[in-house]
Amino acid sequence: MAAGRVKARNDADLILASKRGDLSAFEEIYATHAGRMKSIAFHMLGDRADAEDAVQEAFLKIYRGAGAIQFDSHLAPWIYRILLNCCYDTGRKRRHQAEAPLTVEPAAQENAPLQVALRHALGRIHPQHRMVFWLFEVEGFRHSEVAAILEIPEGTSKKWLFEAKQELKRLLTESRS
Amino acid sequence: MTFDCKDLERALAVPELLPDAREHAKVCDACRRELWLWSEMSNVAPGLRQEWDTPDLWPKIRETLAAQQKAARPRSFDWRILAVAAALVMAVSVFVVMRWRPGSSAPAARQDSDFLTEQTLKEVEQSEAAYRASIDKLSRLAQPKLNASDNPETIADREKLLVLDSEISEVRSTVDRNRFNARLQTELAVLYREKQDTLKEILQRAQKY
Repeated sequence: MAAGRVKARNDADLILASKRGDLSAFEEIYATHAGRMKSIAFHMLGDRADAEDAVQEAFLKIYRGAGAIQFDSHLAPWIYRILLNCCYDTGRKRRHQAEAPLTVEPAAQENAPLQVALRHALGRIHPQHRMVFWLFEVEGFRHSEVAAILEIPEGTSKKWLFEAKQELKRLLTESRS
Repeated sequence: MTFDCKDLERALAVPELLPDAREHAKVCDACRRELWLWSEMSNVAPGLRQEWDTPDLWPKIRETLAAQQKAARPRSFDWRILAVAAALVMAVSVFVVMRWRPGSSAPAARQDSDFLTEQTLKEVEQSEAAYRASIDKLSRLAQPKLNASDNPETIADREKLLVLDSEISEVRSTVDRNRFNARLQTELAVLYREKQDTLKEILQRAQKY
């Protein structure tokens, strides 16, 4: 496993090597992104096995699509866009409620710690707002990256984040009052 | 500016107003709680991230990719592919001859050697239908073998078939929109061959054990 290795090659080098069939280069891409991809997939599918399936499927598609990617484009948004599509597909296949697994969790207790309450509230807000909140606040992407992943303008990413926080604040205030 | 509780929402959207909001929050409990909640959401959010070890995930991906690479190499000769290819070459040749014949009435939109004639398209579609029927038959035979085992080879085969099915469906939908495109028809034929070979391998392996 390449996790923890010093990242000596940049994305363009890695994808170029992958295109030539170099699986060790592709393993570096895996090591860099798999953790965050699993977390996003789990958030969307609500099940670890499904999340792993979606990540696996995404990497197979990434490998196949490596030949088509432009070197002037950033690798990460493309990778995460493929992942989101795989999550939607997996969700449909498994007949799970894709993107809304958190709604089935038990209601937060009145004095629950903020993190638990936040997790619960996230399941109740608009899916697009939730996705922007998750990518920006939980996974640490910048607005430019969120915008590239979701294929929306950067201003929309900022607007949806603000709206997500407004909805969450309202829900959290209600649950704590 | 005199900051009021009703200004808080606007202050959260306009960072320049936040100092005024903080000043106001010193004397207003409700606004202080809301401001705290606003920033605390961002502080606790990274803790929602899920992390767990998956030592088997990369080996599974690597195995599937290695199997795909192996499968992509040239295989045994298949007369049906040759027939389709020959039909395509013929179609393209006929088209090129027609195109350069003086006074040719070929429509301008079809002046591209990648396109098939009506007759050849009909032949290609008939071959494809027959090919698909034979693959469906193989699929039905292989399915119990695929379901019966969970060894890495079978898992890789299952994954590969899923990927192939999804590619076939993608290319087919493109072909449906552009039936005369010879390149797409060839691409579809190659995918069918790949699927057929994979199914044959599964059945041959099952016979060995």
